[in-house]
Order: sequence, then C-alpha cells, then structure tokens
Amino acid sequence: MLTYMAEATQADSQGKPLIRSFLPTNLLVWLGVLPFFLFAILFILMPSSSLVVGSFQDTQGHFTFKNIVDLFTPSILNSYLLSIQISLVTAVVGALFGFMLAYAAVLGGLPRWVRTAVMTLCGVAANFAGVPLAFAFVATLGRTGIFTASLRDAFHFDIYQHGFNLYSFGGLALTYLYFQFPLMVLIIAPSLDGLRNEWREACENLGASTWQYWRYIALPILLPSLLGTMILLFGNAFGAYATAYALTGGFLDLITIEVGNQISGNVLYNPNLGLALALGMIVVMSVSIGLYSWLQRRTARWLR
Amino acid sequence: MTHLSLSNISKKFVETFAVKDFNLSVEKGEFVSFLGPSGCGKTTTLRMIAGFETPTIGQVILDNVDITDKAPNQRNIGMVFQSYALFPNMTVAQNIGFGLRIHREAETAIKQRVEEMLKLIHLEQRGNNYPHQLSGGQQQRVALARALANHPQVLLLDEPLSALDAKIRVSLRAEIRSIQRKLGITAIYVTHDQEEALSISDRIVVMSQGQMEQVGTPFEIYNFPQTAFVASFVGTLNTTDAEVIDPAKKLIRIDGVQLETAEELDGRQKGDKVTVAIRPERLSFAVEQKKANVIDCRIENITFLGSVVRIQVSIGDAKFNMDTFNNPFLELPKIGDKTQVTCSREAVLILKN
Amino acid sequence: MRKINLWAWLWIFLGGLYFFGPLYGALDFSLREKRGVLSFLAYQNVLKDPSFRNSFTYSTLIGLATIIVGLLLIVSTAYWVHLRLPQARPIVDFITLLPFVVPAIVLVDGFIQIYSGPPFALTNTPQGANVLLMFGYIVTAMPYMYRSVDAGLRAIDVRTLTEAGQSLGAGWITILFRVILPNIRTALLSGAFLTFAIVIGEYTFASLLARPAFGPYMVLLGQDRAYEPAALSIMSFALTWAAMMIIQFLGRGAPGQGQVAVAH
Repeated sequence: MLTYMAEATQADSQGKPLIRSFLPTNLLVWLGVLPFFLFAILFILMPSSSLVVGSFQDTQGHFTFKNIVDLFTPSILNSYLLSIQISLVTAVVGALFGFMLAYAAVLGGLPRWVRTAVMTLCGVAANFAGVPLAFAFVATLGRTGIFTASLRDAFHFDIYQHGFNLYSFGGLALTYLYFQFPLMVLIIAPSLDGLRNEWREACENLGASTWQYWRYIALPILLPSLLGTMILLFGNAFGAYATAYALTGGFLDLITIEVGNQISGNVLYNPNLGLALALGMIVVMSVSIGLYSWLQRRTARWLR
Repeated sequence: MTHLSLSNISKKFVETFAVKDFNLSVEKGEFVSFLGPSGCGKTTTLRMIAGFETPTIGQVILDNVDITDKAPNQRNIGMVFQSYALFPNMTVAQNIGFGLRIHREAETAIKQRVEEMLKLIHLEQRGNNYPHQLSGGQQQRVALARALANHPQVLLLDEPLSALDAKIRVSLRAEIRSIQRKLGITAIYVTHDQEEALSISDRIVVMSQGQMEQVGTPFEIYNFPQTAFVASFVGTLNTTDAEVIDPAKKLIRIDGVQLETAEELDGRQKGDKVTVAIRPERLSFAVEQKKANVIDCRIENITFLGSVVRIQVSIGDAKFNMDTFNNPFLELPKIGDKTQVTCSREAVLILKN
Repeated sequence: MRKINLWAWLWIFLGGLYFFGPLYGALDFSLREKRGVLSFLAYQNVLKDPSFRNSFTYSTLIGLATIIVGLLLIVSTAYWVHLRLPQARPIVDFITLLPFVVPAIVLVDGFIQIYSGPPFALTNTPQGANVLLMFGYIVTAMPYMYRSVDAGLRAIDVRTLTEAGQSLGAGWITILFRVILPNIRTALLSGAFLTFAIVIGEYTFASLLARPAFGPYMVLLGQDRAYEPAALSIMSFALTWAAMMIIQFLGRGAPGQGQVAVAH
C-alpha cells in the first residue's frame, strides 16, 4: 500500500497538475474515467455478456450446453459458412484490388491531387454502406436497372439470362466490395507511405530490379499490414447486416440475417439458440480482431 | 589516371539550376569531399553520379565508360545514405549480402564475403541482429559494408554521419577513411561539416548555390581560400572592409589602422575598397613576438573554448577574433585592457568577392 | 517511371468506374419516374412525403443527441487519460476496439435481452427506446470519435498547454473550455460530422428497436416504390459527400485526419 502510494505521489511530481485533496490521489484520479467505464459496462459488456450467458441457458434458465450443440445443425452451420464465404471472398478481392488502387494513388507517381481525390472518394464510399448502397446497386444492376437495361437494349445481352443475379451471393459480394475496396485503400495508404524512398534507392544501387525490390523488401515489409487489413475486411463483411437485408430482403441466409430474424421473432426458434448464434458471431469477430491487433504490432516496428 | 570524371554537369529543376558547370576529375583511390551548405547542389551532384538524377547537360564518365544514361542498378557504384536505409526485414548479414544475392553469386561466396565485411567493420558478432537492434553508428557501418560488399568501383557517401552524435562522428569518419584507404577505393563524400571534410579528404570541392567555388587539398582550401565564400565557410575567419593605400607597397587601411599584406595589389588603385580576411590563429599578442604588422587594440571579450581561448579585440571599429592555445600558466588580459596584436604579411588575405 | 504512370492511371480509372458506376445508375434511374422524360418527379415525391420529413428529422435529432452526449463523454475521458491517467490508456484503447468485436446486429440483440424486460424496461416506452438507440449509436461511433479526439489532443501537447495555463493562474474548467477545446475544434467537428453520417444512414439499430428513423423509412419505401429509393440513395450520397467534404476541409493541415467508417 505504501509503495503504491509512493509511486502515485512520484508520478505526480513528474509535472502532473495536482488536485489538493485528502483522499489518496490514485483513487480519485480513476473517478475521472468512471463515466466512460460505466458506459462501456452498461452498453457493451452487459449486453454482450447477457448474450453469452443466455446461450448457455435453456428456456427455464437452467445451465445447458444444448444451444451450443444445436449450433452444429446443418442449416445453422450453412449460415455461418455462407457468411464466412462472403466475408472471405470480399476480404481477399477487396484487399487485392484495394491494394492496387492504393499503390497507384500513393506510389504511382501521379499528381498530388489524384491521391487526395482518391482518399476523399474512398472516405465517402466507405461510409456509403447499408441501405442507400443497396438501392444504388439495384438501380444499376437490378433486373430493371440502368446498366442491365442498356446492355439488353444496345447489345441484346441480358446478363440475367446469362446467370448473373444481383440478389444472390455474387451480387451481394459485388455490393459489399463497394465499401471493402475503399476501406482497404484508406487503411493501407499510410503503410505505403511508410515505405521509405531510400530503401528503393538502396535496392537499385545494389543492382536490384523493381520486381526484386518488391519481392525482397517491399512485400515482406507490407505483409503484416496487408494480412491485418484483410482480416479487418473479413470482420467488416462478417458483421454487415443492413446492406444484406436491404438488398436481398433476408433471402440470403447469412448469419447476421438469422440473428435479425431471431430478434424480430420471425422464426419459431428456441430464443436461447438465437443467443447462441450471436455468441458464435462474437467468437468469430474476437478471433479476427485479435489476429489483426497482433499483426498491427508487428507492422509498427518496421514502418515507423 | 582519371577514374571518374564529371564534365560540364548541369542540372535544371523546372526553372532553376540546382547544379551548374560542374567539372571534376577524380583519380583512382582518391577521397574527394563535396562541401557546402544546404541547397548548394552537392547531394544533387552525388545523385547524378549514382544515377538517381540525370544531368540536364554534361556527362559522367567512369573508367572511360560513359554512364550518364545508365540506370542506377547497372552502374556498380556503392552508395551510403544519410538515413542508412538498411532493409528492416533483413538481418545485418542479409543486408550486407543483398547485392551479391541479386547478382546471383554462389551461397558460399556470399557467406565468405559477408564475413569479410563484418570483420572490416568490426561487427563480427552482429550478423544475425536486425537493424533496429543496433545503434546509429553500428547501422551506418553496416550500410557501409553493404555498399562495399558488392565490389563497387566508386563509393558514394551522402552525409553519412549527420544523424549521429558528435563523438561517434569523429571516430566513425576516421574508420571510414581507413577502410577506404585499405581497399583503395575511389570515394566521393558529401558533407556540410567543414571539419569533417578537412580531416579526411584528399581533395575538397567547396560548393555554393549550385556552383563550384574552389577545388583543392584541405591545406589549400583553408590557407588560400580564393573566394569570400570559401574563406568564411571553411574555418572561422575575420573579415572586414578595407581601403587600398599603396598598391605597390601593398598597404591597406582598416579604419585608420595600416596593414601590410603579401597579396598582389596590382590592378588596384589607391582608394579601392577591398575585403580583408585574417584567420584568428594568425593573430597573436605582440608582447610575445613582433611580426610585420603591429596593431593597437582593445580587449572586448574573452571566450574559453577548451584547448583554444578566443579573444575578441577591436581594431578601430572592426571586431577581430584572435585564437590562442590555452595555457594555464599564462595570465590572460582583462576585458577593457589596451594591448597590441601582431600578424605577418601573409596572414592578411585579400578576398575576391 | 513513365511505365508505372500508365499502369497507375489504369487502376485509378478502373476504381473510378466502379465507384461512379452505381452512383450514375442510381442517378439515372431516379430521374426516370416520368415515362420517357428525365424529371425530378421521384425527388419531389420523396420531399413531399411526410414520412420522409418525420424520419429525417428524427434521425437528425437523435444524431445531435448522439454527438453531444458522445463528445462530452469521450472528450472528458480522453483529456483525463492524456493528462492524469496514462495507466488507463490500454484499457480505454481496448474498449474502443470492442464495437468491432460486437457488430450492430449482435449488440442490439444484447440491448433487447437486457433492457426490454424489468428492471429497465426501456424498450416499452418511446423515450426509453430513443435513449437506447442513442447509446447504441454512441457505441458505434465511439471508436472513430475517440480516435479523432485522441489524435487532436496528441497534436496539441495537452500537458504543456495545461501547465502553461496553470502557471498563468487558470483553473481546470477555464483551461478545458478556453485552452483545450478551442484547439481541438477540428477533431471535435470531424468526429461530429462522421457521427452524423453514420447515424443518418443507420438501419440495424433503428429497425430492430422499432424507431421511426431514416434508415427504416428508406427500406420501407424500397419495398413499395421503384424510383424513389434511387432518389433517396442519391440524396443520401450527397449528404455523406457533404459531410466528408466538410471533414476534409476542417482537417486541412491537421495531422492524422484519415477517417474511416463502418459497414452497416
């Protein structure tokens, strides 16, 4: 106790402004962040834990693993699988193309305004998710959409006859990419900035070609950042609800749609099973964020 | 035998010339420094030798081959960067061996060369460390080894020591020079630190605003500066305006004090205004020994700099610094004292503006 | 380097195509309500619709509440952590990561679990549900608000400014309101506009808490009408664009103002 207080007073003598009080300084200081902690507890931790706790209960409130076991029924597993698939696809494609775009904007030797424009547009696009985005895609690529119609009228080519369907996995993935690309660009751009010019010059000076520079220096350095952002993209798509709902009306059986159905009481499931669904989502997201954080820390070391 | 020559090099960026009419011939094994303040064009010139910039006019010729338009990765010229530029994802050994790996040398040959280099820079135990685990000085040595491992024909160094502490700078520059001598490799060294340039170069090119001011050995540059810029940039210097009294007898006057100079004053007439410069160490107290010029003055300030004591005296209205070696047993005059200082004829320099 | 330039332009072009394509599609579609003629009929219909006005107003008000309460909470916390409690930083940073772990759909599920029954019974009254909605939005916007404010505080060296203020005789409140807040005005406004953009388009919380917000209104319209949703899409985009432009404008010259946002 004495050492703790000694440390606390030592900290204060390092120039932190002092409040004259009779209470031990360390306790009083923690009061300052109390509202924030309270907020976190009430509106993040308690709701989440009630989900977790509820998943392990049956309708009478007794402890059970049944809900968890029931998660492994084919239809529910299918939902998870579908969600994971679309998240994986849009994460990888989004990361690849987003990286290309970011590279072009940051390192492509283009005029300064191009980069600013790209960043701004990406900022807008990343925010344009959800209902309005779904509507825009319907208006463009829906059955009576502008693009669909003009292709049909001008080239007699009906994309819907040829297997394209906006209201399917592919269509939703395409729509998701609209905010996945920009997210990738926005997050990876600073890392590209961190690739110092001198590394490239030193590389050239030692006889390497551009490709060799990328292979031995740039890509290895960027890899943690790339992977981390890809994982972030995965999590982003996995948790998306509004876009999917607005576009497919709940037709595609994603796990977020399933959870939504549970809440709206649309399905006659065991309500605790519904909570287990949410728990499953939390687990997937936690793993993603954990991996992302770990990779971020590795990146920071090299790109400072 | 000329190893590297730069002829009529000029570099234009948009509207201004960063470098103009640069001409230099460097012998094999010579250590040449480009010395000048920021923005004088020294780094730009270096980068043109490396190939990162292309001259607007002029040629770079290495060992009788015109390399002006050659890509930087085709020139076999080693470069050490100011910020070391070590690849952070590779160990020290991998960094040093990188150039050899690119040139597809055999693994055993690479390993041997890397060990050789580590020995040269006295970091034998650090081969498996990563750059961020080394100090600044160590990183710079690795950068040097990396550049040398490739058997370059010329070594370029772009202000390699400016990011380091003063003490490290002094020891590292000596090390760089000794390695260069040992290997007999031609080296071009860019710096803004005149002490650095003076201490390790065979020749110095003093630059200002894209132009060459003077080329010469450190001795020549310091003792016989040809322009006012060189005189004031290299070493400390007292300068003031003066008037010619008698061109034939080489007499000039500073504020009522008459001085005799050894410089040629032909072509000047009585009454011409000139700039006079005297190195602080060329002035001494007349009480010790009288030389050609004896001047009455007043002690204005005394600054103790360690091995040197800098005494500021006023000669008429002009203030001159006089440097004397520190002697603990000699009593220094006090501020306000009137005394006499002396200097030789040769010490009185007339500068071309 | 010319080789890279061409290839870079190609990617920019492709990106632009993909970005502007759906927007152009929505715009074109939205102008075609009147057969055979380009008109703003769809827009007029939307603007005349009382539900539009009501839901937009509702979302705006909730947005404002979110901004005010949220900023109050976050600025005070960030300032405190910066100045007096750096030890809390890891915990606070962790909390700002939590909204990513618990996506909106899951969080609203949790809200309903806890706050619908006794003892809280918030979802039973409109006011209660509004409060819940606001806090849901604060959780969603919190990571970005916090990052923005934190970056702003870091950029102005809070400790030195506070000490300078104290050495000149100023008290806590004075320092906070007359020294700190004015200097992080940009960060505050950026955070505010980003929050606004998030709230206006939000659907998940609003729909599942049964609140008459703009998001659910859009979906409802989407089920009945064809052209109006496209018009809404364009209007929503224009709003988001405007908010982003304002943030960009505010963030000129301020370091670290790269803003990112959520998927819905």
